[in-house]
Amino acid sequence: MTDSGVLERLVEQVGWQIRKRRAEFYGLRGLFYGACLGLVPLLLKEAIGPVAPLIALGLALVGATAGALVGFWLRLSRQDVARIADRAFDLRDRVATALEWRSRPDRSPLVDLLVADVVGRIEGLDGRHATRRILPPELRLLPLPVFLLVVVALAPAIPLPTGRLPTFSSAEDSETPEERGAKILAEERSTAAKREPLQRAELLERNVAVRQGGTGSSQPGDLSALFKDTALAAQRPDFNSFLKKGDERLRMLEQVDRLPDLKRDFTQSPYKMVFQKKKELFGGLRPDQLSPQKLRELLEEMDRMGRKGGNWGGDTWEGLEALEQGQTDRALEAMEKALSKMRAMEERGRGGRGLRGGREEDRRGARGRDRGAGGDSIEADLGEGEGLLPGKGRNPNPKGDATERLRATPYDAGVEGESRSGRKEGHDTNLLGKGGRLPSRLQYMGVFGQYRKMMEEALAREQVPRDYQTQVKEYFDSLEER
Amino acid sequence: MGNAERVREFVEAFGSLKAEVQKIIVGYDTVISDVLAGLFAGGHILLEGVPGLGKTLLIKTLAEGLELSFSRIQFTPDLMPADIIGTNIILEDAEGRRHFQFQRGPIFGHILLADEVNRATPKTQSALLEGMQEGTVTVSGASHLLPSPFFVLATQNPIEMEGTYPLPEAQLDRFLFKLRVTYPALDELNEIIDRTTRSGVAEVRRVMTGPEVLRFRELVREVPIAAHVRELASLIVMATHPTWEHSPDVTRRFVRYGSSPRGAQALVLGGKVRALAEGRYNVSLEDLRAVAQPALRHRIILNFEGEAEGVDVDTLIGQVLEQAEAQSRQGKEVFLR
Repeated sequence: MTDSGVLERLVEQVGWQIRKRRAEFYGLRGLFYGACLGLVPLLLKEAIGPVAPLIALGLALVGATAGALVGFWLRLSRQDVARIADRAFDLRDRVATALEWRSRPDRSPLVDLLVADVVGRIEGLDGRHATRRILPPELRLLPLPVFLLVVVALAPAIPLPTGRLPTFSSAEDSETPEERGAKILAEERSTAAKREPLQRAELLERNVAVRQGGTGSSQPGDLSALFKDTALAAQRPDFNSFLKKGDERLRMLEQVDRLPDLKRDFTQSPYKMVFQKKKELFGGLRPDQLSPQKLRELLEEMDRMGRKGGNWGGDTWEGLEALEQGQTDRALEAMEKALSKMRAMEERGRGGRGLRGGREEDRRGARGRDRGAGGDSIEADLGEGEGLLPGKGRNPNPKGDATERLRATPYDAGVEGESRSGRKEGHDTNLLGKGGRLPSRLQYMGVFGQYRKMMEEALAREQVPRDYQTQVKEYFDSLEER
Repeated sequence: MGNAERVREFVEAFGSLKAEVQKIIVGYDTVISDVLAGLFAGGHILLEGVPGLGKTLLIKTLAEGLELSFSRIQFTPDLMPADIIGTNIILEDAEGRRHFQFQRGPIFGHILLADEVNRATPKTQSALLEGMQEGTVTVSGASHLLPSPFFVLATQNPIEMEGTYPLPEAQLDRFLFKLRVTYPALDELNEIIDRTTRSGVAEVRRVMTGPEVLRFRELVREVPIAAHVRELASLIVMATHPTWEHSPDVTRRFVRYGSSPRGAQALVLGGKVRALAEGRYNVSLEDLRAVAQPALRHRIILNFEGEAEGVDVDTLIGQVLEQAEAQSRQGKEVFLR
């Protein structure tokens, strides 16, 4: 036999082996799916009759046969066969190379040597199998449908649903549909007649006011009384009236714009409370006409509030001291300072803080100068390690607040850092040049991302020594954590 | 001479040259094989290792085993391109007329040892570019042919980076292989001590001539390669590119630039020499696996993340190789995988 003949014979043999293995593989797979499908006629054996088990068996066999045939006839190229033969017989791609190159016009003189070499090695093979048996993953699950097939085949037939609803016999069932419809209509009409017509809102308000006995606390249009009415049960102890009252309240709730601001009662800020009391205390009086006792009470209340986390304790204490010495003016001044601090704290709590730069500080300073002593900086009271920078102090936003975007073209001339004086940590940045007069368009994290990218590019270009690379990376990682 | 004899002659020559080098050099079996692969594939070799491991000695010994001219250039920061290539000098003839004559530099040798190549400036390093790729040098508009075979062996030191100039990518790409010379094993070290501290030095025989080298280079290129093996070489190179849609995660994460097509050429040529040296007439997948690291490690440029994480390029190549092989199996029926 020629060299080519030997090569062809090897390819045919290995191809046949692969086809057989494939037939096994896909046959088992087909058996699994056929068995699964075979469950259907068994479940319907009441309708199908005694042939159902045969149909199930047939489906399983058809599945296996179809799978085996598909596996056997699956496309198999000669190159693939050659590669499998190389792999199986450890021929180091000799068969595939020889098969590909032996008929090429640009074949090199070494190809003949290669073919002869391959043939020599093939003849040394003693009919070993080129492919090992591969079992499909479905084989592990095959016992399940087979078991179910047997169980369902032996079990009695499952009764099929008849398609009719069960009959419930009663006296009413003797009624014709027309009679039943007429009865329902009559019931609906009588219910509608009993139902009270919907009342207008004004009328309801009037009724509510009358029921409340004209306490005078409710103004026309103020519905808060309705919701504060806790004596409802005492007035109308019967259940029907309770339901009726509930309906009325629901109707009220639909008028969203007229609902009382109940939330406001519970969220009244300490500053507003104190401010209200101060207003009541003054009541158009001059400072020398004020009652020292009431002023003391107010200062003491502010002092109590200050102990819960406020920073105006010193001012209230100064005010009380001044009051004891009979210096009402000083006491009033101290109270004003404490009140302004309360307001500042409330504003901080409500609005949060962002990055505060030097210009803002300047503005605040100017305002403070205008106001005199009442314009003390709020940062003066921040503790060690606290500050207004992002991630510092009590600002809950780790990135700081977003800077406002305005339609302006920034031409930032430069950025100058400035250490803030005092014991606080912090570093203000002031924009200089035209950019300084315009608000920033980019948020801190946006700018940081750009800088990081530029840094990476620069480092990639500049060949940072290996010892420094970790340090540089750690530095930028530490920035990112903020 | 028949083809079988040519191949047999190559196998013997390869083996005898390796044996001559191993008379002096202890260990480094793979490094020596790869250096010879570079010689017979027509490429150039870059050897990287700390001082004292015998890189220069290996190259000198190889040159001794070949009947070829040998030049050595010690690269220093003040070395100029003209010191390598040569320069035009003014000569006066018998009649008193002056004219320029090209004075050849050390590059005009068959085997060129560029010792500590990363100590010279990029300008001087670039003086080798044309010679390495095209086998010519151009001075004052005139091209001069380099002797053939022309084989550059460069060494560099991975530490003592102070005052060095890392080779530019274009220069690196012209090296067929980058070989890492590592510390010898304990028994090898004992053997080194024995050989170098006793009287009498082994003599290296000249076992190959220049024309023989050229003939073997021709033979190497005749080795056939199957389509699926060639495809794997392409897949490996493509998988080193972070922008390729099927590149592995490790490439996307740590690689800035992948290998050039020269990487695929190096894989195949290295595989051909390896196959022929083993007496095989075809390139196998195993050959590609064996030469993947020396052929690609200097062609993969890590990004900042890779550098900072201290990613080992050889490990990365191993993962790329696995991915490429998985890629070549992808979508194939279970029996063909």
